[in-house]
Amino acid sequence: MADILVYSDLLTNAKELAYAGKGFAAALGMGISAAALGPNADADAAELGAYGADRVFVGKDPALEGLQTDVVAEALAQIAKEAGAEYVIIGSTRRGKELAGRLAQKLGAAAVTDAGSVVVEGSDLVASHFSYGGATVAKEKVNTPIKVFAVMPKTFEVGDVVAGAGTVVTPSLSLTPSAVKLVETKPKEGAAVNLDAADRLVCIGRGLAKKEDLPMVESLCAALGAEMGCTKSLCDWEWLSENRLVGLSGTKAKPTLYLSCGISGQVQHTVGIGTSKIIVAINKDDKAPIFAFADYGLVGDIYAVVPALTEALKKK
Amino acid sequence: MKIIVPVKTNPDLQMIRIKNREPILEAVPYKVGDLDKNSVEAALQLQAAVGDTQVVALTIAEGNRKIKDTMKEVLAMGADEAYILSDDALTAADQAGKALALAKAIEKIGGADLIVFAEGSTDNYSGQMGPRVAELLALPEIGYAKKLTVADGKLTAERGMGDLIEVLESSLPAVVTVTSEINEPRIPTLMNIMKAGKKPTTEWTLGDVGLDAAAVAPQKAVLSNLAEEQQRKNVMIEGSAEEQCAALIDALIKDGVLEA
Amino acid sequence: MEKVDCIVVGGGLAGLSAAYGLASEGLEVILIERGDYAGAKNVTGGRLYVSPIRDMYPELWEAAPFERPVTREFITLLNSGNATTIEFASDKFAAQPYQSYTVLRATLDLWLSEQVMEKGGMVITNQRVDELLMEDGKVIGIRAGEDEIGADMTIVAEGVLGLVSTKAGLRQKPSWKDHAVGFKETIELPQEVIESRWHLSPGQGAAHLFMGEVTKGMLGGGFLYTNKSSISFGIVLGMKDAKERADKIDVYTLLDDFKAHPHVAPLVAGGELLEYSAHVISEAGYAGIPQLYGDGYLLAGDTAGLALNQLYTVRGMDFAVASGYYAAKATLEAKQQGDLSAAGPMYEKMMRDTWVIKDLETAQHIPHFIENPRIFTHYPQSVGRIFERLFTLTSDPTEGIYHKVMGSVKQDFVNAKTVKELMGVRKI
Ligand SMILES: Cc1cc2nc3c(=O)[nH]c(=O)nc-3n(C[C@H](O)[C@H](O)[C@H](O)COP(=O)(O)OP(=O)(O)OC[C@H]3O[C@@H](n4cnc5c(N)ncnc54)[C@H](O)[C@@H]3O)c2cc1C
Ligand SMILES: Cc1cc2nc3c(=O)[nH]c(=O)nc-3n(C[C@H](O)[C@H](O)[C@H](O)COP(=O)(O)OP(=O)(O)OC[C@H]3O[C@@H](n4cnc5c(N)ncnc54)[C@H](O)[C@@H]3O)c2cc1C
Ligand SMILES: Nc1ncnc2c1ncn2[C@@H]1O[C@H](COP(=O)(O)O)[C@@H](O)[C@H]1O
Repeated sequence: MADILVYSDLLTNAKELAYAGKGFAAALGMGISAAALGPNADADAAELGAYGADRVFVGKDPALEGLQTDVVAEALAQIAKEAGAEYVIIGSTRRGKELAGRLAQKLGAAAVTDAGSVVVEGSDLVASHFSYGGATVAKEKVNTPIKVFAVMPKTFEVGDVVAGAGTVVTPSLSLTPSAVKLVETKPKEGAAVNLDAADRLVCIGRGLAKKEDLPMVESLCAALGAEMGCTKSLCDWEWLSENRLVGLSGTKAKPTLYLSCGISGQVQHTVGIGTSKIIVAINKDDKAPIFAFADYGLVGDIYAVVPALTEALKKK
Repeated sequence: MKIIVPVKTNPDLQMIRIKNREPILEAVPYKVGDLDKNSVEAALQLQAAVGDTQVVALTIAEGNRKIKDTMKEVLAMGADEAYILSDDALTAADQAGKALALAKAIEKIGGADLIVFAEGSTDNYSGQMGPRVAELLALPEIGYAKKLTVADGKLTAERGMGDLIEVLESSLPAVVTVTSEINEPRIPTLMNIMKAGKKPTTEWTLGDVGLDAAAVAPQKAVLSNLAEEQQRKNVMIEGSAEEQCAALIDALIKDGVLEA
Repeated sequence: MEKVDCIVVGGGLAGLSAAYGLASEGLEVILIERGDYAGAKNVTGGRLYVSPIRDMYPELWEAAPFERPVTREFITLLNSGNATTIEFASDKFAAQPYQSYTVLRATLDLWLSEQVMEKGGMVITNQRVDELLMEDGKVIGIRAGEDEIGADMTIVAEGVLGLVSTKAGLRQKPSWKDHAVGFKETIELPQEVIESRWHLSPGQGAAHLFMGEVTKGMLGGGFLYTNKSSISFGIVLGMKDAKERADKIDVYTLLDDFKAHPHVAPLVAGGELLEYSAHVISEAGYAGIPQLYGDGYLLAGDTAGLALNQLYTVRGMDFAVASGYYAAKATLEAKQQGDLSAAGPMYEKMMRDTWVIKDLETAQHIPHFIENPRIFTHYPQSVGRIFERLFTLTSDPTEGIYHKVMGSVKQDFVNAKTVKELMGVRKI
């Protein structure tokens, strides 16, 4: 029986994939396996079993420490063969997306990366991803014997878990250490943020004239109970950490309220906000494309509107 | 040292219109991808830092009939030489086929000490090509570099991974992919544009790199490629800043996304 | 300093035509254009008269990517309660060789720049010329950013504002009073819709001008040209009127009102806005032509003031092409004679001996004539009244046709002011 094999370097994401993979496997008449790799593999394996994997391949080879892409790709390629996988579904995190190309090449597979949806169509899994910088969504079917999909985190929701389910399998891996050496890790400046979880999100763009004006936006976030996100330039200029980037190369946010300040609304940003419940845009240019995406549009200078909104929210 | 920069030219995304959800590509000019300019710039900065380095741009035409003109921009930025691989079969190819063609072309050029990709192409952003070419050429690869240095025959790269910055090291030859944070690409000067016309540009077909159409045949089928539909209220709130904010708060409360 | 035979400043029709002529004869020419590509920033209403320029570069006009040949003319006098439209079709206009075509500059200029490159000319885009390099009163090249390039001959075709040539003192700073502004929308419509709305055979095109309500009494008018699958739609407005008028109607409103006018709305209905653009037009006419040449340089196109507002049509593109053509021709002939300083006088003579300057001279009284606001209010309204009476039938006993018409004519036309103005028409 052919198999679906799932893997992600992020456990929460791996659980989503295992859960969704179980559904796909049922629809396609396949088995569902997961891979747990690296020092935490044993603990992860139990969870992945609970979330739906019939078999969990546990790889603890010392070469996997640090989860360097070349070694993980080799391990997954060996596991995929052992499992008899037809589909390998991995998380399109940074590491996962890098992995997808190398793994697909090893498996002689075609791959879809950054998939925002995967659905069963007939006897196939079909994946969609943004194309033309986000202007369109391309739906693709893969025709190689083994198929690789890298799916963006939070694409799938998880449901009930069954503790204790899933058989642990120890694959026979033959790995060599990575050609790439991790010299050191440094913490990033600024506090850790998780925009994925934000219920309200205020995003700031190039309408902000200088870094020193960020507190104005922070006050609004505080008054609204919102996280702060941003467009790409602000990350490139290192005004804000890339964890705050919303859009094609950052987080695809799903808040109930999204409010943009001084953002033009170019597609690479708006693809990250499409699933927000309510979208509000403040921009001084009444022709800014962002207004076409907005439920409420306020034409005005953020330097006037943002403080006014902060005050109004405080008084409320 | 020799650095090869695979560069993609893509349709000018600002010029693509959507009509009945379909992208209209007719008459849309091609340009060097924004992110690919970052990789060219990264190579040029390494060239300046290391010295005695040749920067070679390599592209697959992908339907761009004016590719020679488009590639002039890369030469004008400072690349020393360009190779263009044009073949109708490559326009239809997917990442596997194009990566194979790039790998064969890199071999034919005589290999490189460093191959610099962008983290993803500006239009398609699949991010597969760098890792695929690394695998094909059996080279180490470091993705998402936002800082690059080469010294003592070694490559050091910094990249952001979640809440951490990783510093990684690899021997050469190697493949890297870079993000847009790495630099601000230079804008070519008039003089360099004039000189670019005289720099060597070599055009190859698939046959020239030892491949045929079957070797790069697409293995994915695009079932559809349409713009998503957005249903939004599109209410414009007018008035003074205070009036706008009051009206906005009322509306958000009515929508149930803000407590009264 | 790097040096070439010729530098052309500006990749509009004037600059491209000059570069094409020079490159065709093997001169080393570079054309510098600040837009992303030639044509990217260029605005025109939309009709190029090819007949005056057909013999210059005939091979180009046979292959050029024109939109539609204009075979039908429409003029609408627009009032708040009515509209009178004259539709003119002549078999002559509908047959080859067509005398004029609608054009889109983004397409036409880009194509022309490719032809220049094919001839070996170098078109460099995305670069702005900052100034002309002068030495003892002679133009010896240009500076763009950090780079300086020398040339034996510099042809300045930088369009109407002429910042570079003005800065170098080659022409006077133009007065805004002598200018009009054009605002234009390109609106997409299916080919069949265009052909049925303007009664066209497949592939043929219309020019449709509007006077009256369009500009709310200010100097100017509306235009509409049919392209292949879009229309160019806009307003030309005298700057003096626009600035001096008390109620300061802003141009967006003007264009929106024009589009929403009950007699215009059906023409644009169902269209999707593709592009909005605005540009200045010189209205100074003959009196505004500067000295066309000097040591080391020639001025061409709008920079040389070569534009003509004839009320029912704006001409500038044919002048631009012709001046570029003659600039190249004069340069080539002078070079052949071994004395480049002869190019200037030769250029001026070619321009004066042909229709280029002559047409501007003939039309020299138009600017004064059209300053009269009554042209944009009184006359369109009067015509409207005549037709309104002619077509009105009530329960009252009707007047004879003669009385219907003459009643209006007497009231609106037979008075001292009108008679005087109508005499003035003879001058234009
Ligand atoms: C491959 C690729 C991936 C990308 N990924 C992402 C991504 O993930 N996320 C992302 O955001 N971008 C991404 N980008 C960049 C994206 O294309 C845009 O450049 C970016 O989103 C624009 O940011 P912006 O809206 O802040 O800036 P701009 O487009 O410059 O807009 C600034 C806006 O602010 C308004 N403004 C200025 N001053 C004021 C004021 N005082 N008050 C009110 N309004 C004001 C202006 O009217 C303007 O509309 C990507 C690009 C590429 C090529
Ligand atoms: C609304 C409107 C309607 C019109 N309708 C018609 C019509 O129907 N028929 C007609 O024949 N004419 C019409 N005209 C006039 C016609 O468009 C112009 O006369 C014609 O475009 C002039 O061509 P040009 O090459 O001289 O200038 P332009 O077309 O203006 O070209 C000048 C070029 O120089 C470039 N440039 C400027 N400065 C620099 C610099 N410093 N460095 C590098 N490049 C520079 C510009 O980007 C531009 O590409 C109309 C004009 C307008 C505005
Ligand atoms: N047609 C191409 N020619 C040359 N290099 C390419 C081409 N397509 C992609 N690349 C390279 O691969 C990178 C990633 O592209 P992609 O995998 O399509 O996201 C690009 O930034 C380029 O460096």
